[in-house]
Amino acid sequence: MLRFDIKNWSMEKRESAAAYMFISPWIIGFLFLTLMPMATSLYLSFTDYNILDAPVWVGFKNFEDLFQDPQFWGSLKVTFSFAVMSLPASLILGLSLAVLLNQDIPFVKLWRTLYFLPSVLSGVAVTLLWVLLFNPQVGAINAVLAIFGIKGPGWLHDPNWALPSLVIMSLWGVGQTMIIYLAGLQGIPTDLYDAAKVDGAGMWRRFRSITIPMMSPVIFYNLVLGIISTFQYFTQAFVASQSVGSQEVGGPVRSTLFYNLYLYQSGFRFFEMGYASAMAWILFIFVLILTILIFKSSPMWVHYEGELRGRS
Amino acid sequence: MFKKKHVLLVILIIATLAVSSLTFAQEPVTVTIFVGLGTGTSPEQIPPQEALQERFNSTHDDIQIEFLIVPNESAHDQLTTMIAGDNAPDLVGPNGVSTIAKFLDNWADITPFIEADQFDTSDFYPLALELNAYPDLNTGLPLGLFPSYIYYNVDLFDASGVDYPPSDFDDTSWTYDAVRERAMLLTLDSNGNNASSPDFNADDIVQWGYDDSWASTRELLAPWGFEGVGRPTNEDYTVAMANNEAWVQGLQWYSDGIHVDHFIPGVDGQAAMASAGIGTPLDGGLVGMFHSHTWYLTELGFDGLLFEVQIAPVPFNPAGGRVAPIHADNFTIPENSKHKEEAWEVMKWLTAPEQIVDVCLIYGCIPSRQSVSDEFRAALEENFPGLDYDVIFESINYLDAPNHESWVPQWGRAEDTINFAGNLIVTGENTDAQAVLDEANETIQGLLDEYWANQ
Repeated sequence: MLRFDIKNWSMEKRESAAAYMFISPWIIGFLFLTLMPMATSLYLSFTDYNILDAPVWVGFKNFEDLFQDPQFWGSLKVTFSFAVMSLPASLILGLSLAVLLNQDIPFVKLWRTLYFLPSVLSGVAVTLLWVLLFNPQVGAINAVLAIFGIKGPGWLHDPNWALPSLVIMSLWGVGQTMIIYLAGLQGIPTDLYDAAKVDGAGMWRRFRSITIPMMSPVIFYNLVLGIISTFQYFTQAFVASQSVGSQEVGGPVRSTLFYNLYLYQSGFRFFEMGYASAMAWILFIFVLILTILIFKSSPMWVHYEGELRGRS
Repeated sequence: MFKKKHVLLVILIIATLAVSSLTFAQEPVTVTIFVGLGTGTSPEQIPPQEALQERFNSTHDDIQIEFLIVPNESAHDQLTTMIAGDNAPDLVGPNGVSTIAKFLDNWADITPFIEADQFDTSDFYPLALELNAYPDLNTGLPLGLFPSYIYYNVDLFDASGVDYPPSDFDDTSWTYDAVRERAMLLTLDSNGNNASSPDFNADDIVQWGYDDSWASTRELLAPWGFEGVGRPTNEDYTVAMANNEAWVQGLQWYSDGIHVDHFIPGVDGQAAMASAGIGTPLDGGLVGMFHSHTWYLTELGFDGLLFEVQIAPVPFNPAGGRVAPIHADNFTIPENSKHKEEAWEVMKWLTAPEQIVDVCLIYGCIPSRQSVSDEFRAALEENFPGLDYDVIFESINYLDAPNHESWVPQWGRAEDTINFAGNLIVTGENTDAQAVLDEANETIQGLLDEYWANQ
């Protein structure tokens, strides 16, 4: 007969049981809201599934078709281009702002709040606001450029400028990155700077030889999160492209057809849920590989305080 | 005593079963009507739909209807979920041709119902019956039509001294060349030079002669005389024909109109109109002629216009024919509906001569029944006085069949491909209509081949 006598359990066993009970809501949520949908998505990626009829097993056909699909490669190119433009810009801008706001200047707390505030606002409303700002005829941006005698581009209406417009839009929310850098900057021991000054190091040398290495763990953190969020970019591109001109998803002429936008289009506009699921798994594997590569490279450029290199 | 109790128990059971079976037999079937994929969701349309529901329910004992009105933005996903969850509504509509095409495999065929009832369809406009009928599937009785024609700003024509478009359907001088000529005279820069003038500044246009920016690429090209009209394939959907001569000619006319002759607003012009807060191309007073449908009457802000509006037929195409693209609505029965017979009865009621005018007034369409056209015309004239209503009703006879929204294999991707070709032209990324349609045709042929390979 099975006995479940808690009274005879060891303290360690009881503590483990209590711990599992406390995290059980999360485990249940993870199982049913994350793991099971992932498993279902994996299964669907090997099927022809149009949502309305039962899935039909097709093996690797979705993946084969994907690699032959020009729009798949086009969407990857758009996403990569965006990442190449926005990631370095947000890292550099965020760090620069943090360094500036780490100085003893008047109203520094107000400035920090003002720079952080845009990152709190997000989503559809902000994107629509930017659509108005980017309007080539009456938008504020072109109006300011006109003051300097510059004829502004078509921005979101111009296939050559739509993607840079989204990059600019994304930089508006750099406050979140800035705050994390600011916390990191304030954790750098000041005696390092004092010692460097005594040795005659100038401002740039101190920044290059102390600030950057000491901030490398934070940069590493922001880089990993930045890559993940860049490859999941969707809302702003979707809203912006639907708000201009022909309301083409990822327009104009697919210049902002991000990978996730094409995934959405495949699943919910074209009713190709199996195809979209295959796209989702390719994205997952790709971002995973990229993250692993960054982690593998980290010993070469990320310095943790107290870590000794090359010494046993 | 024991036997008496058992007898009483048996009598009680029998009586209960009899009453309950009687109750079940009398319980009416509820037909759920899903509204949201097209028109029908604005606040003004809800009370009349509720009144229609009450009208039906008070006159039918065996069937009751219930409108399920879903916001447009979520209707697509909600319907998909309902069908996938085996909880399909019984009627869906009003649906345009494109919506029907999008979900084509999920509609019931009403042909058996028509044959069983020997239902008389002769009162419907004959071409309207074709719009949602496919070789193996008739998706529904036609409800309403939205013919298209040219809206024009009379004041702009008067100010420029340009002749009005003719309203006579037999006037063969009204061609796309004539549209171009008049549109160029109506297109002005800030100095008042028209597009025909050597002093015209194309970088400073303040008024355009013609606009068709609300049309999909297939709708733009359907009037140009291709034998497939609005369908980019051959009759059995096996050969892609999007780069046919007529469509290339039409798309090049449109491309030249934007980038060479400048009488059609391009991306910059459309952005200018949008930024000026102008809700529709015509009511801002910046466009001389605008091709659209009868539903545009409700969008135009007719009462508040500061200028006179009139309408004219779609011009003749180079092949000597006339095609006026049409939008058409009907109700459809999902294949998974559990009450198809009852839904068919409701569909007949909604499209019956006694109701169709009221139903169409709710949804802003022209009834598909010829016998009520005078009655509906009177209602239209009351709401939108002064228009040449002969143009509206005569345009129905020139509708595009196959329709520009009609089904083709892999409909979503095919539409996206053709619209992409049109957007390449509008944005100026490629102004060569032959090149963009050749590329689109190649893609569509690939889609067709893939579709048929999987059948």
